[in-house]
Amino acid sequence: MKRIRFVSAMMALAGAGLLLCPGPAAAQTPKSGGSLNIMLREDLSQGFAIHETSTISTVWPAMPCLSNLVIFDPAKPTESAETIVGELAEKWSWQDHYRNLVFFLRKDVKWHDGKPFTSKDVKFTFDMLREAPDAPGKLRINPRKDWYSNIEAVEAAEPYTVVFRLKRPQPSLLLMLASGYSPVYAAHVNPAVYRTGCIGTGPFKLKEWRKGEFADYVKNPDYFVKGRPYLDALRYIVIKERGTRIAALQSGQLDVSFPGETTKTAAEQLKKAVPQLVVTPVGQMVNDNIILNTKKPPFDNPKVRLAVSYAIDRRALIQAVHQGGAVPGAAMAPKPYGVWGLMGNTLAALPGYGKPEDMKAKARKLLAEAGITPQKPLQVEMSTRAIPIYVDMASFVINELKQVGIEASLKQIETSQWHATATRGEYQIGANLTGIGVDDPDGNFYENYACGSPRNYSHFCSEELMKMVDRQSQEIDPKKRLEMVAAIQKKIEDEASRPMLDWRLDYFTHWPHVHGLVAHHNIYNFGRMQDVWRDK
Amino acid sequence: MIARFCRKKPLGAAGGAVMLMIVLTAFFANQLQTYDPIATEAGQTLARPSQEHWLGTDHLGRDIYSRIVHGARVSLIVGVASTLLGSVLGGIIGLLSGYVGGKIDLVAQRIMDILQGLPLLVLALVMSASLGPSIHNVVIAISIPIVPRAARVIRSSVLSIREMQYVEAARSLGLRHARIAFRHILPNTIGPFIVLCTAQLGSAILVEAALSFLGLGVPEPYPSWGRMLSVSAAEYAQKAPHLVIFPGLAISLAVFGSNLLGDALRDTLDPRLRGA
Amino acid sequence: MKTYLVQRLGIGLLTLVGMSIVIFALLRFAPGDIVDILFSTGGYVRPEERIAIMKELGIDKPYTVQYAEWMGQLLRGELGMSYNYGVPAWEVIRPKIPVTLELAVLATIVAVLLGVPTGVISAVRQDTTLDYVLRVVSLAGLSMPSFWLGMVIILGMVAWLGWIPPITYVSPAENFHMHALQFALPALAVGYRSSALITRFTRSALLEVLREDYIRTAWAKGQSGRIVIWSHALKNAMLPVITVIGIEFAFLIGGLIVTERVFNLPGVANYLVEAILARDYPIVQNLVMFIAVVVILSNLAVDLLYGFLDPRVRYGD
Repeated sequence: MKRIRFVSAMMALAGAGLLLCPGPAAAQTPKSGGSLNIMLREDLSQGFAIHETSTISTVWPAMPCLSNLVIFDPAKPTESAETIVGELAEKWSWQDHYRNLVFFLRKDVKWHDGKPFTSKDVKFTFDMLREAPDAPGKLRINPRKDWYSNIEAVEAAEPYTVVFRLKRPQPSLLLMLASGYSPVYAAHVNPAVYRTGCIGTGPFKLKEWRKGEFADYVKNPDYFVKGRPYLDALRYIVIKERGTRIAALQSGQLDVSFPGETTKTAAEQLKKAVPQLVVTPVGQMVNDNIILNTKKPPFDNPKVRLAVSYAIDRRALIQAVHQGGAVPGAAMAPKPYGVWGLMGNTLAALPGYGKPEDMKAKARKLLAEAGITPQKPLQVEMSTRAIPIYVDMASFVINELKQVGIEASLKQIETSQWHATATRGEYQIGANLTGIGVDDPDGNFYENYACGSPRNYSHFCSEELMKMVDRQSQEIDPKKRLEMVAAIQKKIEDEASRPMLDWRLDYFTHWPHVHGLVAHHNIYNFGRMQDVWRDK
Repeated sequence: MIARFCRKKPLGAAGGAVMLMIVLTAFFANQLQTYDPIATEAGQTLARPSQEHWLGTDHLGRDIYSRIVHGARVSLIVGVASTLLGSVLGGIIGLLSGYVGGKIDLVAQRIMDILQGLPLLVLALVMSASLGPSIHNVVIAISIPIVPRAARVIRSSVLSIREMQYVEAARSLGLRHARIAFRHILPNTIGPFIVLCTAQLGSAILVEAALSFLGLGVPEPYPSWGRMLSVSAAEYAQKAPHLVIFPGLAISLAVFGSNLLGDALRDTLDPRLRGA
Repeated sequence: MKTYLVQRLGIGLLTLVGMSIVIFALLRFAPGDIVDILFSTGGYVRPEERIAIMKELGIDKPYTVQYAEWMGQLLRGELGMSYNYGVPAWEVIRPKIPVTLELAVLATIVAVLLGVPTGVISAVRQDTTLDYVLRVVSLAGLSMPSFWLGMVIILGMVAWLGWIPPITYVSPAENFHMHALQFALPALAVGYRSSALITRFTRSALLEVLREDYIRTAWAKGQSGRIVIWSHALKNAMLPVITVIGIEFAFLIGGLIVTERVFNLPGVANYLVEAILARDYPIVQNLVMFIAVVVILSNLAVDLLYGFLDPRVRYGD
């Protein structure tokens, strides 16, 4: 039974990989005109202020309005340093062994209100993000401050050249700048304006945001890429009720689904009802994990934590909770969804990935060493968000833990209070989800594992681990860096402060008349919409 | 007496039978279930109704029949508890208000006005969000809107009884107020009280279902009929319509039964209230 | 009559003030830090950021001051700023009110058109099979969860017709046909439920009246049954029915909350849930007060109408 599950999981991986091999480019010529109705799961939070939120609900509908310095090639699903292309920057180059990053900016860009784009805007944006003491712009909240903490200064001496001076070498900075999370704000606009409207340089201009209903865009006639965008208009429609969302997509009232929204089973249903729908399985760059409060007993004991990791059968969880719509992986996403993840035998050797009976036996042994036996079980409270998929995940884990002698009761926390509760450490063990804005070790490790980081929900501080992370951050040789990152992932799973459960897949769905929209293995980075066209 | 009731009010008897069935189901849930309602089975997701799973399974492979059986427990407990809590509290307020009258009546009436100024679901929503998700908070949230409705019914009942001859007689005999209230007035409000409870029970069950559907009701692991209808049911509805049909039918049946019974009881016990 | 009106309005005002205090307090007792919740999409609010935000939203002041500010705003006709959107609350709520109002009116019309004739037939043919069938059908409407009915309709439509009503609001000016389609189904769903109550009341009120002596007298005198019913009975039976219609209109909003959500109509009822979950207090407070005002006014209107139609009822005694 287990072997069948393993084989089918591997086949799913292979199948997904085949589907995603870059095939021949579409033979059709793009047509101009028309509009698209695009799904939104909930209304935009904080409007179009991407820099003040960490949710796909803002990034997805706000990306058409804004532009980055650089971005991941919209046409390539797997993102890496090799797929970075310029947007506001025509050329760029690293200097002084990845210590300075120089951008040569386009000269023909205008903001949506007509003012010209210059290096001043770049300096304004990134001084604001790194919270430079003399920065004129200020954000109300700054969730990704850590991404820019290595920037010493941003120099904009000439109108079309910008230099990022770093405190130490960091090749990852370029990748973080390519994420949908890193657009450029206008220097002549108060950052607060982005919470209710949008002045950007992107392919579409915001026409109207009717709160709670939809956001309407029209084509930007002065867009700096000639001939783009193809579409005349976009409408992002808010539908809160899941059944209604799916029905709207199925009946054609929506042309495009929401990234991360369509599960495997839902996609199967949609395909059955409307066979011509285009379904593309992609990785979301979102993982499920277990957070353990390492500051308080019982999870301050590494043996108990490791036992938890051993007890959970990852493949069974993927089948039970996601119906196969997820893949196993460690702290970085596995191929072909990411570039850095552990795979094959290395992954299989980690706790929780081997034969379930062996793993559970190991878990029981570890617990026995900590004084916990089936006669004297450990009572804990598992917290999770009050959303069905989390509850399902937590219920499954509770079932697994029961079999090794840990009795967990379920406590639901309202979604809006989840992060705060976890950051404050008001939990024992929790079922969590983490979205990673860019497939990069710097973008992941500092935020989620650094001592004192608010997103380090397990409150686990390992000096040794952070030293390893700092070393790989400055490593210029890609092969050496890959090995370092692999070692870090192994160490993280061995310390078991935040056992990884799986990496989610999205069965991104759209109608066949939608062309040029290539889903990436990262929900946050493919929403620009400039190459999208329709033919009906 | 029961036989006469069944003959005269067949619909009410049918309603009573339905309620009895539900109560028994709730009571004997553990014996009636065919599977553990929270046990997942990865290989059997979204199975159609069959010999093994009488009402099919959900997306996690949990047996729907067993979950509905246990859901009866939750719906009934929440429904009955909140109805009783609200009705008893409201009844006491109504009794005092009606019997003592004067300033107490005035103040109580205004407070009841405040609570009654909002539709049931709205107040329950605000209370539920205010108290946080847990089963006793849901009971409190649903009982609060019932209080003013109960108070109003009991109060008007008390007012009409108070003027009756035998109460005057008792007072002239020098009996203490408390004695009069409890020995003479209270027993005569039992009729309207029962009618009130059965009428409110249906509303309570529906409000609990709506709260669960919106995500503010009874949390896991208690299987709740309302929660069985939220998110996942709609998502898989086309592959497995039984996910949507059966919990909804269960809710409708429970409320239907309680309404039928309530109507018949009202007709029998207190014909004056027929228009109320 | 005038004194009665003044009295009722006075009491209504008192009730509203009391309700405002209750709502204000309830919302602030809600668990969880409001700043954390409002900015939960940012992940984590640092202490310095929190202080600045609280100051900006005006929630760093003591509760009594905040309440006084809210009351002051109401008196000036302002509703404050939405915490979530940073724009005036009125700007957010205003476009949504007509949608809910229209749905409420349509649902009430459906309810009356379905309920009254059914109740009359049921009463006239009391205790026959038709009566039982009608009562069961109408009671079924009262027993079904309204969101379930809506869900079944939408999912059924997409499964069998491959079509659902428009998911973004179509105004009647834009496309009357689409608008009608969009509102017809939710109005039917909500109306069916309300019709059940109206059926019951019409039936029992008519039965009550049919037992009255003057009706019997008219029958004894030999007047045709139908004339008797229509000219005497119905007129008098309508009074309690109008009461119920009035009350139901105000209480319709409970069913509207879930129905608007399922059919994706951008009304205030749908939005209320979002605002409550997002702790957007200015919006929740004012919306709830708005609902309360509607309830109180419609109760008052019904009572006045009752008094107007039935000279036996006197006020101010």
